[in-house]
Amino acid sequence: MESVEYSKKTNEKEVELTFDLNGETTKLIVPAVYRLVDILRKDLQLTGTKISCEIGRCGACSVLLTGQVVNSCLVMAYQLKNSKVETIEYISKNSLHPIQQAFLEEGALQCGYCTPGMIVALTDLLGYNADPTDEEVLEHLSGNLCRCTGYTGILRAVRRYKTIYTNKG
Amino acid sequence: MELKRENFGDKWRVRPDGYDKVTGSLKYLTDYTFPNMLYGKVLRSSFPHAKIRSISTYEAEQLDGVKAVITYKDVPGMNRFGLIFPDQPVFCEDVVRYVGDAVAAVAATSEEIAEKALSLIHVDYEPLEVMDSPEKSLSSSSIPLHPAGNILHRASYKSSEQVLKELQNCPYVVEDTYETPRQMHGYMETEGGVVVPEEGGKITVYAATQHGFKDRMQLARILSIPESLIRVISSPIGGSFGGKDELNIQPYAALLAIKTKQPVKLHNKRSESVRAGIKRHPMKIKMITGANQEGKLVGHYVRIVADTGAYATLGPAVLDFAVEHATGPYIFPHVDVEGVSVFTNNGIAGEYRGFGGNQVTFALESQIERLAEQMEIDSIKFREMNLRDADDLGPLGQRIVKNDGAKSVLSMIKNSSVLTDSPKEHPHKITGKGIAITMHGGGLGFGRPDPSGARLSLTNDGKIEIAFGFEEFGQGLIASIEIMLMEALNCSKEDIKIVIGDTDLVPSSGSATASRSTNMIWNGIQKLKAPFMEKVLDLVADYTNTTRDLLYLGEKGIWRRGKRNQFVLSYRELANNANPSHVTFQTHFHFPTTPDAVIGGHYLYSFAAVAAEVEIDQLTGKVKVTRMDHAVAAGPVVNPLGYLGQIEGGAVMGLGFTLFEDSVMENGRYHTENFDSYLLPTIKDIPTETNVMVDESLMEGDIFGPRGVGEIGTVAIAPAITAAIHQACGIWVKKLPLSSEEILDALMDLSSPGNEQGVY
Repeated sequence: MESVEYSKKTNEKEVELTFDLNGETTKLIVPAVYRLVDILRKDLQLTGTKISCEIGRCGACSVLLTGQVVNSCLVMAYQLKNSKVETIEYISKNSLHPIQQAFLEEGALQCGYCTPGMIVALTDLLGYNADPTDEEVLEHLSGNLCRCTGYTGILRAVRRYKTIYTNKG
Repeated sequence: MELKRENFGDKWRVRPDGYDKVTGSLKYLTDYTFPNMLYGKVLRSSFPHAKIRSISTYEAEQLDGVKAVITYKDVPGMNRFGLIFPDQPVFCEDVVRYVGDAVAAVAATSEEIAEKALSLIHVDYEPLEVMDSPEKSLSSSSIPLHPAGNILHRASYKSSEQVLKELQNCPYVVEDTYETPRQMHGYMETEGGVVVPEEGGKITVYAATQHGFKDRMQLARILSIPESLIRVISSPIGGSFGGKDELNIQPYAALLAIKTKQPVKLHNKRSESVRAGIKRHPMKIKMITGANQEGKLVGHYVRIVADTGAYATLGPAVLDFAVEHATGPYIFPHVDVEGVSVFTNNGIAGEYRGFGGNQVTFALESQIERLAEQMEIDSIKFREMNLRDADDLGPLGQRIVKNDGAKSVLSMIKNSSVLTDSPKEHPHKITGKGIAITMHGGGLGFGRPDPSGARLSLTNDGKIEIAFGFEEFGQGLIASIEIMLMEALNCSKEDIKIVIGDTDLVPSSGSATASRSTNMIWNGIQKLKAPFMEKVLDLVADYTNTTRDLLYLGEKGIWRRGKRNQFVLSYRELANNANPSHVTFQTHFHFPTTPDAVIGGHYLYSFAAVAAEVEIDQLTGKVKVTRMDHAVAAGPVVNPLGYLGQIEGGAVMGLGFTLFEDSVMENGRYHTENFDSYLLPTIKDIPTETNVMVDESLMEGDIFGPRGVGEIGTVAIAPAITAAIHQACGIWVKKLPLSSEEILDALMDLSSPGNEQGVY
């Protein structure tokens, strides 16, 4: 029903999409040039993905696209066909990811607006490298801006994750 | 003491809003949608300065999906706003004064249609000459931007008429002019929200602000409706740093919602946020500072020119603050400071973390370092010889609360390992170290309404509810409230309910600004805890027939002291048996002020010192801050994680101010409209090791409790970095953000023949 609405919004050509969103097959009809961030925030009310610069510079809208972190403001609807998208809502669906817990314990967030993007980016990194060096963390998070913390708390959280959570495992 | 987990035990706590933030489940006000919601867009001026000959909205109105197009003609009340005095048009009538000026607004069924409609509004402009610098605005051929001319405000402080004469007699004098950038707040969440029309002509405004009641007052004037019909819900906020204290999108969303009788959402794109939003005042600061043969400061002559942009907002108060803080924590027998804040067509400058202090501290601390260099004495020693004593008067000659923070922070930073460790060797890089210190006033200052309120009550469902009119924009306000209330009432976090950010539910507490909230919260709790506890204990003693003196408040409820403490009654049971209105206490009070009638003069000051190490790439001139330590004296630490976050985050904001950040304008237009050209520090630009040392002590007789630290972490960063640069390569950076080219040139000069310091 929702998809009929989209045609009224713009005169753009529409595409029918099937993709895996947060573990569920999702079918949508949307204008081909709709951005993933709009689909998530406006059409699906998944507002954990934030919007800030809309030119791929700040990382507030980070999601995982087929396992890799991307800026959802730069992904067009037509690029989603048969892909797999995971958002912040999926990461803690059952329980907090240990990096989320470490963020809480080390004050890695303040206003929190960049936090979902930071967490998404870090789950990508920690997914393939549970024990990253500081340099690897800096490199991986260089596309995620935070204006509140000065990043120091974020680095502290990653170090805590490494010492506590990886040692346990 | 170092501010770290090991030193703070139970106080190192997870913030109450943390879970919802790390999981993305927290709804910010720009995340809201409502049934039948429309999307609003504002048409901003095409020119930085122009007359409006005509506005035609006809074509836009005809577009399918457009529900309303409004201009100044649709403002039922006062078509102006402004925190100090209302000089900014909601919609321009006949003239535009900056590229962010609003000319019209649209509500439509989608964002895309609203955007399209803006392009169908035809405005006929007659461009006027652009006043693109204070110098031009003050020149004899300038065009007055406002009826009273181009000077928004003048401020001065003179302790002596003899300053220049005294300086002439000084053996050591440094004279220079320093320039600071138009720094952007750069909050990650741009301005936005939703206004919802309600029953009975009411509206609910869901939009970020630092002062809900002030928004309500300003909106009532614009909309010409009583304040009682407006509810402002304003937290949580995705960052503010002073930038969301003034009205932004609220008037447009409200006017459109009232006109269409539908909820209207308005969320600025980044480019519109840059264009319309306020910035830090660019200042040109001339200083002549002199010392005598014994190394004592003699005179300080300061002239400040601030570019305040098109409208007043908090410009006058920022200039007053800069004038007050131009002498910092030093004792000068002869002082002559004058400042002028000038209207231009360059954006709008206003409130920004540090509030004019950052600009003058950069200039002052550079002067101090350079005097020490001239005298060939250690700059820390030079500072020690000239620092204020605990009972010296304040910088405007006013009495202030006794405080030896200046000496304390200097002695802490002196021992920082940033200064004592030997730097790493690198083939292409040179390193340097520097320090700076600052003194920063809290609260709004003498003669300015600076009220607060608090309410403590027992709710029907047995929660201890504390309510304040402050806002949570990330600083950790609710974490601080939770910690302070748990400590005051000896209860657990599960017993507490915190209410903020909703004008229908909270007492008026003034603005969450000027490093005042922590102090006001502490004060409010101190005033309310005794009457609340007494009432609760009276009721419980009566109800349970227990000796009142044996009862105390604790986790989950009221306990009785004994060989083994016994649980007597839960808060819920008490609520079931008491009339909650009997257990409601409210207080109103004011931020403490100096007894001396010095307008704007502060009473409570905090102190900070910074040690920075830089690494300069000799091939590119690029500067990297490799280490930074901080020392802060601001009274007891109530919320260590929050305090640490403010200092660390403030430091990196200060690092950006020094190294990269500037909203570059030419002819009144921005060159930097997004984060591709306006460079915020990234995680790769920060020092990865930082320590924060704190002095928590208050002097005898200081009854004023913990001071806020929201601003002080940003203030002294720039001069510490530039002092380190000087140590590395011998040049004094006088204009921020620094230029790598300038540093490279200096390195080339150093390497030229005959220079013994040569590199390469």
